[in-house]
Amino acid sequence: MSAFAAARLVLARDLRLAFRKRSQLVQPLAFFAIVTMLFPLGISPELSVLRPIAPGVLWAAALLAALLALELLFREDAQDGTLEQYAVSGRSLTWLLAAKTAAHWLLTGVPLALMAPLAGIALGVPGRALPGILASVALGTVALSLIGSIGAALTLSVRRSGALLSLLTLPLDIPVLIFGARATELAISGEAYGAPLELLAAIAVLGLTLAPLAAAAAVRINLE
Amino acid sequence: MTWTWFHRLASPPHVYRVAGRLTPWFAWPAALLILGGLIGGLVLAPPDYQQGDGYRILYVHAPSAWMSLMVYTTMAVAAGIGLIWRMKVAHAVAASCAPIGASFTFAALVTGSLWGAPMWGTYWQWDPRLTSELILLFLYLGYMGLRSAFDEVQRADRVSALLAVVGVINVPIIHYSVIWWNSLHQAPSVMRLGKPTMPPSMLVPLLMMLLGFTLFFGALLLVRVRGEVLSRERAASWIREALRP
Amino acid sequence: MSFLDMGGYWPYVWPAYALTLTVMVLNVVWARRLLGRSRKEALRRLSIGGSET
Repeated sequence: MSAFAAARLVLARDLRLAFRKRSQLVQPLAFFAIVTMLFPLGISPELSVLRPIAPGVLWAAALLAALLALELLFREDAQDGTLEQYAVSGRSLTWLLAAKTAAHWLLTGVPLALMAPLAGIALGVPGRALPGILASVALGTVALSLIGSIGAALTLSVRRSGALLSLLTLPLDIPVLIFGARATELAISGEAYGAPLELLAAIAVLGLTLAPLAAAAAVRINLE
Repeated sequence: MTWTWFHRLASPPHVYRVAGRLTPWFAWPAALLILGGLIGGLVLAPPDYQQGDGYRILYVHAPSAWMSLMVYTTMAVAAGIGLIWRMKVAHAVAASCAPIGASFTFAALVTGSLWGAPMWGTYWQWDPRLTSELILLFLYLGYMGLRSAFDEVQRADRVSALLAVVGVINVPIIHYSVIWWNSLHQAPSVMRLGKPTMPPSMLVPLLMMLLGFTLFFGALLLVRVRGEVLSRERAASWIREALRP
Repeated sequence: MSFLDMGGYWPYVWPAYALTLTVMVLNVVWARRLLGRSRKEALRRLSIGGSET
């Protein structure tokens, strides 16, 4: 069985297992909604005040929600020994982890991307910006899932790794935040947002080539 | 045959001995250079035509910022070597770097904030250099936090080494995205001196400080590596001989 | 003394230098303390497994 075929099996398995526990998938989305809501409550209900800060608020909330969702990536498979099976299976662990990360993005990133326009509306964002928000969050969450997979793999054997995982992952997420927020900002003012979108894509591509490799190395070290 | 020096570097007893002997050769020149740089920077160099005597913070801010980056790079390179060639000594070097780098990053942040304060009117601005230094501090803290999360030294070494290597790839990306972010919003940036080029009377003390701090790092590293190397050896026979008073 | 006054910038310049000096001194102390502790620990381990080598 080729690495790609094995990866496809892992992807399908992860998606199937996740659908059995659908309630778990909602949690990062609920978190995203709650965090977004905190800002109007803490600052002002006036949309004219919220609109300028909407890009930052959306992306900060998205980063945090993606961070929360990382729990779903490796934790269960590490606990029940599946990850160990993957590591000794003779198939490329890099490809298998890439498949898991892809599943993770489909289960958390895509829903976030679909929710983000709604959060944007809640923050006073004009309708013309919504496609741009969806596109940038969809692309950005690819990078976030990949970057997050590295941190999740590194802290695999650490108990209660939540705060440490945030400390490790969030600094690396900053370029995604900067470019994503910029794309959102341009979309809101009706300008062309292709350039930051391309930068997001570049980070995603870089992540695609490097992150699963680093994650595989980290998993192996932690399973020794 | 040219590789024997490399293999000797991998030998903990050899490193322990040599590091001990080399330390004064780094410590004393460092002290002299720093002293000379202080005299040159605080007394001999003329005031800046825009910032007066306030610019003299440069002589501690620039070396601190230089240290924060140089130490991180050293840490990442040593970590990479430790990962690829499985060298305990390389991991010892990486472990030694982190607290040094983090403390100087902190110094760079505080001195940078103090330098900008009279010009800005506030103690903080989201200046691209300061913001990058702040992020770098978090990278150091993350590295040290990850290390301390593992009880077994070997695993701590290898996991944190992976993080350091990933981090070093990210540092330029983060740095340029922060510069880009800052340029969009035309925020004020200080830390440029009035003239486009520095006269020698200002430049020479700066170079002395930069070199002096670098040698100081070398001395600190030599001392710490000895300690780290010792703690990674179980009850190896060479220790008894090496620790004989 | 105008040296101490630093052209009016003294509340910024001197704390900056003081902090940097403190960081340097602390680094020296920490490094030496680490080495001392490691030596003590290594000697202790040796005396426990006295006949192992």
